[in-house]
Amino acid sequence: MEGSDMQEIVLKGFGEVVKTITFRIRRYDPENKELPKYMEYKVPIQKGMTVLDSILYIKEHLDHSLAARYSCRMGICGSCGMIINGKEKLACQTQVLELGKNLIKVDPMGNYEITKDLVPDVSKLFRNHETVKPFIIREEEEPKSEFLQTPEQREEFAMFTDCILCGMCLSACPTSASDELYLGPQALAQGYRYIADNRDLGFNERLNALDSKHGVWRCHFSGACSEVCPKGVDPALAIQLLRQVLTTNVFVKFKQKGTTKAPERKSVSGVS
Amino acid sequence: MRESQLMFLQYLTGLLVVVFGSFHFLLISVLSPSPDKILYAYSGTSGAHVLVGGTLFYSWVRAVYSSLIWGSVLELLLTFLVFHVFNGFRVVLSEIFPGTRADKIITYALVIVALVVFIWGSRTVVLALNGGF
Ligand code: SF4
Ligand code: FES
Repeated sequence: MEGSDMQEIVLKGFGEVVKTITFRIRRYDPENKELPKYMEYKVPIQKGMTVLDSILYIKEHLDHSLAARYSCRMGICGSCGMIINGKEKLACQTQVLELGKNLIKVDPMGNYEITKDLVPDVSKLFRNHETVKPFIIREEEEPKSEFLQTPEQREEFAMFTDCILCGMCLSACPTSASDELYLGPQALAQGYRYIADNRDLGFNERLNALDSKHGVWRCHFSGACSEVCPKGVDPALAIQLLRQVLTTNVFVKFKQKGTTKAPERKSVSGVS
Repeated sequence: MRESQLMFLQYLTGLLVVVFGSFHFLLISVLSPSPDKILYAYSGTSGAHVLVGGTLFYSWVRAVYSSLIWGSVLELLLTFLVFHVFNGFRVVLSEIFPGTRADKIITYALVIVALVVFIWGSRTVVLALNGGF
């Protein structure tokens, strides 16, 4: 149903209707062999409505077949990344009226296969993430006590722990567009996050992936990743820091700082 | 070789190309015995334009390129350039054609072409050292 023949439906929980805005949404279903096309929907925008709310409005009242992915609706799960008016944004964090446009173009994230409409297949993102072993690597099987870390030591990588794996940095990255094997800003930033963690000793295990032909050296430093990150993570910075580490490693074997352990503890039941 | 080692050499040779390239241009423009001057030289009744001094003066050019020091500067410049250019190509091509097989083909093909260019360039430098081009 096109916007013109619809009956205006007002949603509960939002302010008054301010204006009607046209959404031009890219539609594509790889299962039916048609080429991607844009479809327009007119949505009455109430104060406080986000792009995600508008998409859900379309889905509920105008076109049930539109596919989009979301979960938390509060910028935490990282599911609703899409390209809104040419720039990667979380749809649930983007206020329609703040965009200041009467026409809003919505595309799925780039550099991914498309599952349907606004839903990208982000398995590449998770695969790359796994490649850099995003966990603390230690020699001992079961540590008997905590590893100590000062607030300053945590600061060295704290920013990179804020990543919510939305995948928007990979979507914006020009190297990922041309080199499909490039690890991408998200995975590289996480590689650095663990190397810089004083509890970790897994530098050598990550080296092959990070220092590969499609690793850290392929970044052109366009900075698009840091520009679009909704959490203020700066993957471009992590990549530069990684390059510093790897260049030093050419001359002097890089040694992770390691950490001191807290004294062994006995559990309350006496069984350690 | 690790990618970090190759990229370190890439940046280093980039810098060296600038340094040695500057030597090369300095040699041509600053170290010349006198400014380039084209004069009429009359031999009998026929007049002709003849270069009588400066960097492009033929015997000066030959003298420069047959000196061992400047010959070495040129050879080093050639080495740095060949590495920088062909490693740069490798990076660009492996980004456009990703994949282990493609990486291998690109690397081997470029090593061969780089060697040919290097040998051909060195041949010119050596010939110049011996007084002929
Ligand atoms: S670094 Fe930022 S943009 Fe990239 S996946 Fe993490 S949160 Fe998203
Ligand atoms: S729905 Fe969770 S971040 Fe947008």
